Amino acid sequence: MPSDTPLVLGFDTSGSYCAAALLRGDESLATRHEDMGRGQAERLMPMLEEMLAEVGVDWRDLGRIGVGVGPGNFTGVRISVSAARGLALGLDVPALGVSLLDAAVWASDGPCLACLSAPRDRAYVQGYHTAASIPAQLHDIATLPTHWAEPGLTCIGPASDPVAEHLGADIAPAAFSPASAIARIAAQRDVDGAPSPAPLYLREADAAPSREGAPVILDAR
Amino acid sequence: MNEQSNEAVSVRPNRDGGPVYILAVETSCDETSVAIVRDGKDILTNVVSSQIETHQRFGGVVPEVASRKHVESITWIIEEALDKANVKPTELAAVAVTQGPGLVGSLLVGMVAAKALACSLELPLIGVHHIAGHIYANQLVNELEYPFVALVVSGGHTELVFVEAEGRFRIIGQTRDDAVGEAYDKVARALKLPYPGGPHIDRLAHEAREAVTLPRAWLEPDSYDFSFSGLKSAVLAALNQAAMKGQPLAPEAVAKGFQDSVIDVLVEKALRAVRAYGAKQLILAGGVAANKGLRAALEARCAEVGVPLLAPPLSLCTDNAAMIAAAAFLKYRRGQFAPFDMKAEPLLKLEAWSV
Repeated sequence: MPSDTPLVLGFDTSGSYCAAALLRGDESLATRHEDMGRGQAERLMPMLEEMLAEVGVDWRDLGRIGVGVGPGNFTGVRISVSAARGLALGLDVPALGVSLLDAAVWASDGPCLACLSAPRDRAYVQGYHTAASIPAQLHDIATLPTHWAEPGLTCIGPASDPVAEHLGADIAPAAFSPASAIARIAAQRDVDGAPSPAPLYLREADAAPSREGAPVILDAR
Repeated sequence: MNEQSNEAVSVRPNRDGGPVYILAVETSCDETSVAIVRDGKDILTNVVSSQIETHQRFGGVVPEVASRKHVESITWIIEEALDKANVKPTELAAVAVTQGPGLVGSLLVGMVAAKALACSLELPLIGVHHIAGHIYANQLVNELEYPFVALVVSGGHTELVFVEAEGRFRIIGQTRDDAVGEAYDKVARALKLPYPGGPHIDRLAHEAREAVTLPRAWLEPDSYDFSFSGLKSAVLAALNQAAMKGQPLAPEAVAKGFQDSVIDVLVEKALRAVRAYGAKQLILAGGVAANKGLRAALEARCAEVGVPLLAPPLSLCTDNAAMIAAAAFLKYRRGQFAPFDMKAEPLLKLEAWSV
């Protein structure tokens, strides 16, 4: 791979970690994965700078940015999406949003179900090459439709254990770490007309009217 | 006490010695705003995208909804600001961003976008205190004279700040419960007025011919602190009692009674602080600075004592990024930059942000 091939940076903060990968063509130059419950907004930029410095490259050497857009922790997703959009603007390079469901099954064969963890015994799932149409969605694990369990179906991703158990399906490991898969998917995407990365929440915001309602006027009669 | 006078500060020039363009990002609550300001004084552009319509149906700001809106619009607002100002990213001297206080999820969106921009353009990053921004919004339209007292009144803040010299803040009084704007919103809801309630109550109060008598919370004789939750409760009690008697109160009279009480206390304490601290100016700042009744009362009292009242135009009273750039310039001149692991601080202290 010639050294002037543009570099692709992929990163993700949608879970309890900060992760990044740097590619030149198919070659992985560096990866980072740091577990952390919080603090991704503080750690992300220094971590990316350290990774670039380790490889001996500069921000200006990046040709493209791939970013995980979720589904996952809402705040975490917004951290990486904001960072990717800010970097794209500063560097004048394209930034591409990559679904973490797509990233989980990247380079996997046969019918598979991407399974990402969600709070309260639920999972974010999406079917790939499955007989049933299974669009990206948030679902209670206990009520996942068992007719999804076609022969040869493999469950891939952090929530694959409970999902596979419920469906009676097999489990397969992801071919790449999320950040590496994000960079690889972004590298292959067509950038023409690609929208700016935007979070993939798969769940409405919890928004209730204010708890302090208007005072109750007691009936005078 | 003041070991760092204005004169002692050397102006840090831009890389080419030309004008200093600071791009500032403000996302602390429900406005997404990006501004470019030259030399801390001249606004080239101040783009503000308000979410008020989105939050109106909830009767207040919903943090998760606000964060979602910020991330949707943040970079196109940065692009629009650069475009309108006709400034290239490479011409910028620094990137500034509100560090706090505010809603953490909202702050984070602006914070990370600003870091990414500064990092990729190899520019210094400046974290700014939101209230310092409100105070220094006045620098965009007025000449400031030190020492001054600032009355900061908004949906989230009610503070009397003594500013002895440039960028040196001391909070001398603050609310012990509700912020002024918060009290306005709660009373407005009780009167079935739309959110945000301030402008509606201000308008009704001006239309009123009579006022419901309501208490004033002066607190201890020497205190510059405020309290508005008792007043809010008094409004609700008055409304309830009148309704029980079958003689509901006129909303105008309630609005005027409430506003009179708020203004009396704010004006008296602000003027007492001006005298006690030998302030050369009284500065009004924050969203409630748009309140006509408050402005008129302060103007009258300031004229009596011969102290100029400074207040920014309405567009600079509400949350905006130009004020963040104006405050950032204080740190820029002193080379006080933030590291890229700067943390968004929902409860950032103003005094700690002093230069």
